[in-house]
Amino acid sequence: MQQLGPERPAMTFDEVSLERSKSFVQALQELKNLRPQLYSAADYCEKAYLHSEQKQMVLDHLKEYAVRALVNAVDHLGTVTYKLTEISEQQSSDISTVELKISCLSQQILTCQTFADKEGLRQQQLSSRTTPRHKKHYILPSPIHKRLENISNLPKDNRSSHVQSMPLPQSYGTLAPKTLSWHLASDNSPAPSKESWTSLLVEDSRDRNVTMNSLPPSEHGAPMSLSSHLQAAKGNGTSVEDEMEAKKSLSEFKSFDKSVRGEISQPPPRSKNIISALFPRNKNFKPKRVPVS
Amino acid sequence: MARAGGMTNAVNVGIAVQADWENREFISNISLNVRRLFDFLLQFEATTKSKLAALNEKLDILERKLEVLEVQVSSATTNPSVFT
Repeated sequence: MQQLGPERPAMTFDEVSLERSKSFVQALQELKNLRPQLYSAADYCEKAYLHSEQKQMVLDHLKEYAVRALVNAVDHLGTVTYKLTEISEQQSSDISTVELKISCLSQQILTCQTFADKEGLRQQQLSSRTTPRHKKHYILPSPIHKRLENISNLPKDNRSSHVQSMPLPQSYGTLAPKTLSWHLASDNSPAPSKESWTSLLVEDSRDRNVTMNSLPPSEHGAPMSLSSHLQAAKGNGTSVEDEMEAKKSLSEFKSFDKSVRGEISQPPPRSKNIISALFPRNKNFKPKRVPVS
Repeated sequence: MARAGGMTNAVNVGIAVQADWENREFISNISLNVRRLFDFLLQFEATTKSKLAALNEKLDILERKLEVLEVQVSSATTNPSVFT
């Protein structure tokens, strides 16, 4: 009984629909059965009128039967039509309820979709705020990257001649490691050449205010090897302040570069003496005498 | 005597004619009612057909809506991460 309890409303609804359909089918069947009855009654009345003697009485009975048959047929048709209209109305009401339920479901799904879309947009906005916009490669600084930037700021002629990568000769003593070019050369140091030596000296001469008189005579001949210069520079010791001064000197060098470029473009004479090559380039400077230890 | 016979014959004919007329009237009434019944049946058939067509159209629309809802629900069940 308990199991049938919750099912009763569904069962009653089905039972009502079944009963209605059954009554409709029954009424329709009865209406169909009227046709043979009327045919049999018509045959009987015809034979009776022909064979009987009291024809008036048969005729009167026939009239009454015809009226009753007609009324009976109308009654059956009425029941059939009534039951059919009742069933159609019930079905239309059922369809309307189903339509309402479907509209409710569609509205629920639409709300879920809008909610999901809004949540997705919100998450997308949050992710766009938290995640970095640029690649780390372009954001994270590094000491090498800074040096490379400084190198890139310098004019191209000096880069091509490997000016900045060349260390200074040891003869300049404590002044050699102060420039930025020297520090760069300590990182990336290819084999030196005569031309690079002279161009280096042209660069750094103004920054240091070194005169030709201070140049030691021991520099006659080929320049020293790079490793020896590096060791000397390390032995002298470098400081951050020296690097900052070198950076400032580089900025000054930019303005000076144009004037010196004409002189630097041509290679120095082939005399092996480095000091002799310095003389024509230092004419523009105002030399200051700096003690060299 | 002949005149009495003629009189009875005329009366009988009159009675027969009157009965005939009554019968004809009865038959016309019956036929008229049958025709009215036939017209009612035709009208009932037309209205029933229109009602059934409207119900059929409503059912088709509801079926399509149900299919759409079914597809949406199936897509939602296949991708539950959308709603999490």
